[in-house]
Amino acid sequence: MTKKRSDTGYSIALAAKALLLLCCSMLFACTQERQPCLTPKTASFNLKCVHYLTDTNTTTQDTSLPRAVFIPLTDTPLQSLYYRTSSANFTISLSPVADSCSWLITTDSLLYAFDTLSFHYTRKLQFLSNACGYTYFYSLTAATTTYNNIDSVLITNPSVTNDVNTRQLKIFFHRN
Amino acid sequence: MLIPGNLRYFFTAISVLLLLCVSVAEGQTTDTLPKADTTKAKVDTVKVVQPSRQLVLGADIILPVRNYLETQRTGYEFHADYFLHDELYLAAEGGWGSSEVAYTDLKYNTRNTFLRLGFNKVLLPRENRKDWGGLMLGLRVAAAAINRSPVTYTIVDSLWGNSEGALGGKTFGGYWAEINAGVRVELFHGLIAGWMIRGKFLMNAKQFKDLAPLYVAGYGRGDKNAVFDFNFYLSYALRWKRS
Repeated sequence: MTKKRSDTGYSIALAAKALLLLCCSMLFACTQERQPCLTPKTASFNLKCVHYLTDTNTTTQDTSLPRAVFIPLTDTPLQSLYYRTSSANFTISLSPVADSCSWLITTDSLLYAFDTLSFHYTRKLQFLSNACGYTYFYSLTAATTTYNNIDSVLITNPSVTNDVNTRQLKIFFHRN
Repeated sequence: MLIPGNLRYFFTAISVLLLLCVSVAEGQTTDTLPKADTTKAKVDTVKVVQPSRQLVLGADIILPVRNYLETQRTGYEFHADYFLHDELYLAAEGGWGSSEVAYTDLKYNTRNTFLRLGFNKVLLPRENRKDWGGLMLGLRVAAAAINRSPVTYTIVDSLWGNSEGALGGKTFGGYWAEINAGVRVELFHGLIAGWMIRGKFLMNAKQFKDLAPLYVAGYGRGDKNAVFDFNFYLSYALRWKRS
């Protein structure tokens, strides 16, 4: 009988300890803060700049723009993206408040005139996560340009998502 | 569950620790028991003794604590199991809960009820007819009826301007399977305490794509296809003789 009572007491003590441990762990586990957003929240519209090697052939070569400037044509005060280092790959964004938008682009802020790139697209609402909320993904339908420095543009992938590695537009510059 | 990744490991560590404690306790209990009467043991081995019938009813006692400490979610859970034969139990759990998301760029809330059905198998052989505790493994299939309120959202864009919108409410189902392991101990006559860790695997993740609920009572985080969860039950056993 004494043995049985001590066994029961041991079980109670064990259960009490377990409960205490659990309550303590719960106190640490409970959090009301929002989880951090670990994925890009804005869809990346990735451009690649190239030029034809000659006027007649179709082989292209990367065009490294020395000091490229991209300016979005928005209703808000003028903002721009200055690239201080030479590059052939750039990332811009599309407007989530309209089905088209335009950017001014120049290959070198000191030397060349601007071209206007216009994009038309459809928007698709995309839930990222509770931590990141919603964003828009886009499907490009058309791209147009002026021809000061640019020869033509080509949509290589119409799907604009938050995947930073996929390029959607190839810009062909005049051979200088 | 709304448990950060590191703390999930903490939970797992505690569970393993508890498992070890109980194993040690059971080992000690065996050691301190008086030697069985060999004559009676022989009789027991000859005569097949059927255990009584048992129905256990209980509730998760950790969830009310979490409900008090967290503002974004609530959950309640009850369980029952019925002894069938050969240490096999028919098990059922049910409950309800809610969550509220009130961020600056995302606002909605959800409510859901859930039901799990399955079996538990006690792995350790019982020492006598009155031994109802032990280490259990279980399998479950579960379903939840989820009701989501209309959603309001804001897409923040410092360049082009913010975009706001709303989506209608939605009622949908969630289905998942579980593998469980746990231990329970009889504290007094019929009063049982026990814990259970659960691995849950969502089976209709597509339904959760357009907006994964922050919390689904009975399952946990709706944006995870596999989650681990933990319950601590306090239960009462109703027993009666087999007819």
